[in-house]
Amino acid sequence: MASSDIFDVLNIQQKSKSPTERTSSPSPALMGKNASKPQVTGMQRELYNLLGENQPPIMVQANNRFKEKININVKPSPWTLAEFQATPTLKFKHWVKGSRELLGDDIPESSYTKYNKHLTIPSFTKEEYDVFMEPKTETTSIVVSANSVSNEEENKQDDGGEAKKVETSDLSDDTKDADAKIPVGTDDEKKPSETVEEVELKKNNNWEFEEVDYLFGLCKKYDMKWPVIHDRYTYNESRTIDDLKEEFYKVCQHYFRNKKADDPLLASLNFPKEKELERKKYLERLLARSAAEIAEEEALIIESRKFEMAAKKTLNERENLLRLLDSPNSNHSVGQFLTSHGISQLYNSLLSDKSRKRKHTTTVPENPWMKQQEQFAQQRQRLQQMHGNKQLLQQQQQQQQQELQQQLPPQSQQSQQLQQLQQLQNQILENSDSVSPRKTKKQKLEMQTAMKRKAESAYAEQLLQNFNKEEKNSLGVKAHGEKLLPGPYMRSTKISTFKPALQNKVNTTMQELGLPIRPAMLTSNVLEKHEELLQRIVTLTDLKKHLDKLEAEKAITK
Amino acid sequence: MPPGVSKRIKTLSVTRPILYGNSAKKLGSVRPPNAPVEHTHLWTIFVKGPKNEDLSYFIKKVVFKLHDTYPNPIRTVEAPPFELTETGWGEFEINIKIYFADEAGEKMLNFYHHLRLHPYELVNNQPPPPQEPNDEISSVFYDEIVFNEPNEQFFKILMGTPGNLLPSNKTESCIFSKQLEQEEIDRINIGIGKVDKEIEDLKSKIAEKLKD
Repeated sequence: MASSDIFDVLNIQQKSKSPTERTSSPSPALMGKNASKPQVTGMQRELYNLLGENQPPIMVQANNRFKEKININVKPSPWTLAEFQATPTLKFKHWVKGSRELLGDDIPESSYTKYNKHLTIPSFTKEEYDVFMEPKTETTSIVVSANSVSNEEENKQDDGGEAKKVETSDLSDDTKDADAKIPVGTDDEKKPSETVEEVELKKNNNWEFEEVDYLFGLCKKYDMKWPVIHDRYTYNESRTIDDLKEEFYKVCQHYFRNKKADDPLLASLNFPKEKELERKKYLERLLARSAAEIAEEEALIIESRKFEMAAKKTLNERENLLRLLDSPNSNHSVGQFLTSHGISQLYNSLLSDKSRKRKHTTTVPENPWMKQQEQFAQQRQRLQQMHGNKQLLQQQQQQQQQELQQQLPPQSQQSQQLQQLQQLQNQILENSDSVSPRKTKKQKLEMQTAMKRKAESAYAEQLLQNFNKEEKNSLGVKAHGEKLLPGPYMRSTKISTFKPALQNKVNTTMQELGLPIRPAMLTSNVLEKHEELLQRIVTLTDLKKHLDKLEAEKAITK
Repeated sequence: MPPGVSKRIKTLSVTRPILYGNSAKKLGSVRPPNAPVEHTHLWTIFVKGPKNEDLSYFIKKVVFKLHDTYPNPIRTVEAPPFELTETGWGEFEINIKIYFADEAGEKMLNFYHHLRLHPYELVNNQPPPPQEPNDEISSVFYDEIVFNEPNEQFFKILMGTPGNLLPSNKTESCIFSKQLEQEEIDRINIGIGKVDKEIEDLKSKIAEKLKD
């Protein structure tokens, strides 16, 4: 494809000067002088042929360079094998950039020493141990006593046999205040675990100070690396790793409580062994699952998600349907609600039945239009009354004036009355002026259309007033009072139709009922009945569907 | 629209019942002279009043559009009786257009009728009795033309003739009557009753299900 083809496609008139012209249609005379054509390098011939009249100025670089060669003559930077202080006692060597002169003679510390940190694990003597382990049992009873005095007494009675408690209960007055400061919540948490420990202590009271000391020593030595500690533990081989942990944390807790009773971090030293064992068991079970089991579990989770979604959806639908069932059957056509009058009626009827539980009933706003209409109606009434009053007043006035004229001697009383009357009249006139409703354009329009419709239907009624019902029937004339499209139509076209699926169901139901799908005689009465039937059938099919769904749902939940 | 057309009377409608359909007969030995050989039936399509009354006071003309294989398939009948007789061998949809009187200023009505030549199959699947040459088959539909909001002039014309009259009883010649209408309503009422009962049943069932 050459540029001439493209020009053809784009309907561009070519100028003979274009370079392609020369190449695509060379005259025989020029063929020989092909050499005169400038030799273009660095570009494909086909590509060049595509160039048209206004070729962009493409610079074809003649010398495209490769990557620069590596400069081998550069001197390498010096590296030295230098010593460094790994630990206070150990010295190692490593390679460092720079010449020996630059680094100097002093041996630097390892850059990692700052990360070599150890936990400070409490250390204590046997006496100290005895001291802080002792009041521990006592503090628990104090906590209980803080809750209720009677409890404490009961406790004392229960544990009365134990010399420990009786002894320490008197001592504890000082610690009592301190303990009371600890939030009650943490106390409650601690209490059960501690009582469990106590029971265990009694059961196998075999944690001697020596063993605790040994344990703490190991902890310090191996920096709390429990698996290592457990591995090296030779004091009592029967201890499990959890036993060790429990004892360690328990002793620590007591130690720190003795030091500073209201430390908020005390709670973090809690180590419930039962829970830990449970957790481990669960983890083991979790890890022991086979691949098939894992797959099954995942599938089950997905399934359950699906069910949840479906259940939510059906619940929603059911709610909607039930709400629909509660609302009145709409046997009538929508036509009657298309007018403003009709819609206000519908609105009223919906407002009036508050018995219905609907979501939106709680927030139904007042219809401002209705309110205003009511106001208008009142105003109109008032106006009419005033108008009547005015006339009456004028009549009275005239009468009185006549009377006055008749009774030439002016009577002060009557003149007063007259004045009063005039005042009254003026007032009324003013009122009527101020009352005159300021309607917005929209309201005016609404009023006008409403009036027009009323007039129209009145006219229709008037046309028919000469006929009685039978005559009307025989003439086939009817004032329906609704706003429908003007023009002729066949009654049969007014039969409701539905979506294909629904229509099929409706048809089968009609057949089951032994009724024709199209009534044989479509008079207006028949059509009305037919529509009612159709409406009910639709409700019926809806209900059936719903019931089926419910059943399926039930089967699933089972 | 013709000049001097008057205003529509709003919120008022006038109804006129009509019958449309066809009757068909097997061609016997007597054949119309111009009937093609393959034609087996003689049929008549019509639009008329239930009592065969004159409808020309509001219908100007009726146009039947036959199957394209007929010569001049669009046939216009401009005077009563609005019917057309033809011969044929197959059933097809006939397009019927009813044009109304000029005074009405209304658009025409357009609908279809399925030409029926063969007898209906019985419900209990018995083979239909063999069609005798003289047996006439008819497929007739009752419908009502509703003139919604006619103009005043047309309204006067319509009011001039009591066109919605139906005989009170069924007769051989005219089965569409008040009696039939009542029967129809009764039948539908029975149907409504049945459906209502089913709805109640289903409602209680659903309520039960919801309780569980």
